[in-house]
Amino acid sequence: MKAMRSLLLALFVGGAVFAAEPIPVKVSTDTSGASTRVMLTFGKKVACAVAEDPGHIKITCDAAVASDPPSGTLDDAILKSFGMEGDRALVLATGRGYTRVDTFELKNPTRLVLDLSGTRAGKAATAPAAAPAARVIVLDPGHGGVEPGAIGPSGVQEKDLTLDLARRLKALLEKQGTTVVLTRDDDRVLPLDDRTAIANRNRAILFISIHLNASKRKTAVGAETYFLSTSATDAEARTLAGLENKAYEPPEAGAAATSANPPDHGLELILWDLAQNSFLAESSRLAEAIQTELNAMTGVRDRGVRQAPFRVLMGATMPAILVEAGFISNPEEEKRFKDDAYKDKIVEAIARAVSAVAAKP
Amino acid sequence: MTRAIGAALAVALAAFSQACGGRTTPPAAEPVPASPPATVAADAPADAAPMSSASVTLYFPSASDDGLVVESREIVDTKRPADRGAQIIAALLTGPTNAAGLPAVPPGTTLRHLWVREDGTAYADFSEELTAGLTGGSADEIRTVYAIVDSLTANVPAIQRVGILIAGRENETLGHLDLRRPLPPDLSLAGHAKPTE
Repeated sequence: MKAMRSLLLALFVGGAVFAAEPIPVKVSTDTSGASTRVMLTFGKKVACAVAEDPGHIKITCDAAVASDPPSGTLDDAILKSFGMEGDRALVLATGRGYTRVDTFELKNPTRLVLDLSGTRAGKAATAPAAAPAARVIVLDPGHGGVEPGAIGPSGVQEKDLTLDLARRLKALLEKQGTTVVLTRDDDRVLPLDDRTAIANRNRAILFISIHLNASKRKTAVGAETYFLSTSATDAEARTLAGLENKAYEPPEAGAAATSANPPDHGLELILWDLAQNSFLAESSRLAEAIQTELNAMTGVRDRGVRQAPFRVLMGATMPAILVEAGFISNPEEEKRFKDDAYKDKIVEAIARAVSAVAAKP
Repeated sequence: MTRAIGAALAVALAAFSQACGGRTTPPAAEPVPASPPATVAADAPADAAPMSSASVTLYFPSASDDGLVVESREIVDTKRPADRGAQIIAALLTGPTNAAGLPAVPPGTTLRHLWVREDGTAYADFSEELTAGLTGGSADEIRTVYAIVDSLTANVPAIQRVGILIAGRENETLGHLDLRRPLPPDLSLAGHAKPTE
């Protein structure tokens, strides 16, 4: 598992950018100071997200960009080179001396400044390297409080079972030396945005939302693991998010005042979508690992990993998945979830997958 | 068979007449009727006079797995996207005729209004029953949402994505899926059963 960290950055969102021409980005570097400074000057306002993984810092924009110069190589222990990846991302290849990046934005013209700290030829780092962070995994028991989620035929409530499973999984993972944070550790309502915010704040390496399923199809049975669908977060949809919120007129006069959406949610959506988009490959691998373990453990049937635009996964700046551990609408499966040994087997399967994924370099 | 088509056409005609009274853009200030007009509008437009029928593909939750199954229906061959969309939703709300399908929406759900914007986004505004009657499981929610989105996008070229409103209001979610903006179709839920168009 790559130790990924992501910084989100709002450069500006001024509505959708439909320009066929890529937006020019002037790239300048300065290695004269203690840190290496990279300044990106954009020819137009654009939204970008900064994501970091070992050896690289990737700046992904919401529209096509063209760096000027197209690429460059530096004689620097902190920053080795930069260049375009596809038509929307600029990648900085960091050197052995690199330790961390701080970013800030400037306006008029739109600029993104990245300060890369580190050491050059034995010199001390300009900023102390962050202490080796504890590996935090955030577990999210679905629903809670007045939101029971699904309810089984004999009355088992999803919110109780998700908390039970999350506590068991926490205990198991902590035995293996991982720090685990629960988004809720009691029976209360927790807004979906707060759940990912907890994971982001804790700089979690994984976000796992735990749910139980229900269906009108009474024979529905078994566990399913989801990650965010790309179709719902494609570039067109992001572009639209910016547009729609400007042009949207509620169909009723009274609807505007009661709308749950803040006026700036186009911006919020674009940023969050870019956030999870950077981690879709890792999220897919985690989902795959969990589903494989659950299939092997339950032997119910061979289900694959699935994708859907789950609201709770949108804002996660780390690999994020949602596991539906079983159908409590199915009387037999509901009964199984009353058995402690069965619940332990479920969380053991998830823990095995998490350990395998998190252990990968 | 003839009877089934006749019934489907009657439903379609009712939906069409109703939709003809509607508009393609959201009224900004006028209140929307709390429920769809119960009577068929008498003032059908002149251009609708010689009506032929068109075959459309509806998506319903599968009775045997977690996906969707398709059923075809005859609707009035109207050209206006909002009219076609309203007919398709009316047929979807009526429910499946084949045992392979399950109802797409909770009982009592009605379509309050449907309009299509020039950018390819349709907004379908449903009554409260759509949320109130869900089981609380994501499996059903996913199928309800995509039965609506896929049925509209597969049959109306002018609709590329669908926003779902409840009682005239935007909703963040019905429980799990992100409904803050219109959704593109997910035809993978129908597996091999691709639209016939």
